[in-house]
Amino acid sequence: MPMDVGRVQKEIRDIERDRASGVTIEVQGNSLQKMIGCLKGPSDTPFEGGTFYVNIELDDQYPFVPPKMRFITKVWHPNISSANGAICLDILKDQWSPALTLKTALLSLQALLSSPQPDDPQDAVVARQYLGSLPEYRQTAKQWTDTYAHTQQVVGLEAKVQQIVEMGFEREQAVVALRAAAGDENQAMEILLGA
Amino acid sequence: MTFEVRIKKWHAVASWTWNAGDDVCGICRMPFDGCPPDGKYPGDDSPVVWGICTHAFHLQCINRWLQSQTEQKCPFCRRQWEFKQAVVGGEDESEDGAGT
Repeated sequence: MPMDVGRVQKEIRDIERDRASGVTIEVQGNSLQKMIGCLKGPSDTPFEGGTFYVNIELDDQYPFVPPKMRFITKVWHPNISSANGAICLDILKDQWSPALTLKTALLSLQALLSSPQPDDPQDAVVARQYLGSLPEYRQTAKQWTDTYAHTQQVVGLEAKVQQIVEMGFEREQAVVALRAAAGDENQAMEILLGA
Repeated sequence: MTFEVRIKKWHAVASWTWNAGDDVCGICRMPFDGCPPDGKYPGDDSPVVWGICTHAFHLQCINRWLQSQTEQKCPFCRRQWEFKQAVVGGEDESEDGAGT
């Protein structure tokens, strides 16, 4: 059975309408199966001030199976792989329910940034640091936020957007991909091509 | 003064709705009075069912979810899912029966 497109369209409209939630979503391509989600780092955490991009893929079985989510922006957090952005969160695995949505999943990621669960780590090195030396963890996490998640002013963004648009991609998608890739054209292309 | 009114012809019009508190199904997000994605006609072809936890879904939607799971839980409250018996006749409006 093909994906429930009607529900996904409703979900996207709902996210677009609800500007107060602090999460946004951008569809990549025409199939509604690939998107990029975006969330703000919660205040009073080392992620404050950062903008975090999340790669989203929907299976044909969605919403009966969870959406596949992975951080594109590099994050220093016990439940997020510092190498590839893989996320350890129960609702994205066996605790998924079709009553949940892309919006609630993105909000859950935001909540995860606020409350790490070091006993169920995705990244053992980060978890060890979190449990062993909390101030050091906070410092590293903040450093990563400053380095990778401050993408509001990408240097020379417009020129890079133009370049990608000339290759035949849509402007909106080029902007989101470049922001997610912190201005790296090669990584932006990989995002756009779904690599 | 009195009038005599003679009715020559009349059309009866009725409306129906599922007696479900929420207006959309929590799984497909379509109105209960409409169809789930794989349903063709609203009404008896796209029935609404209740769990003993009082949460309601299109029958097709909740069945598909339960069939994909080993543990049978309500998508909303995660309580053990058991179908609630429909109230025959739908007399009692306070019950979450399949009143029509």
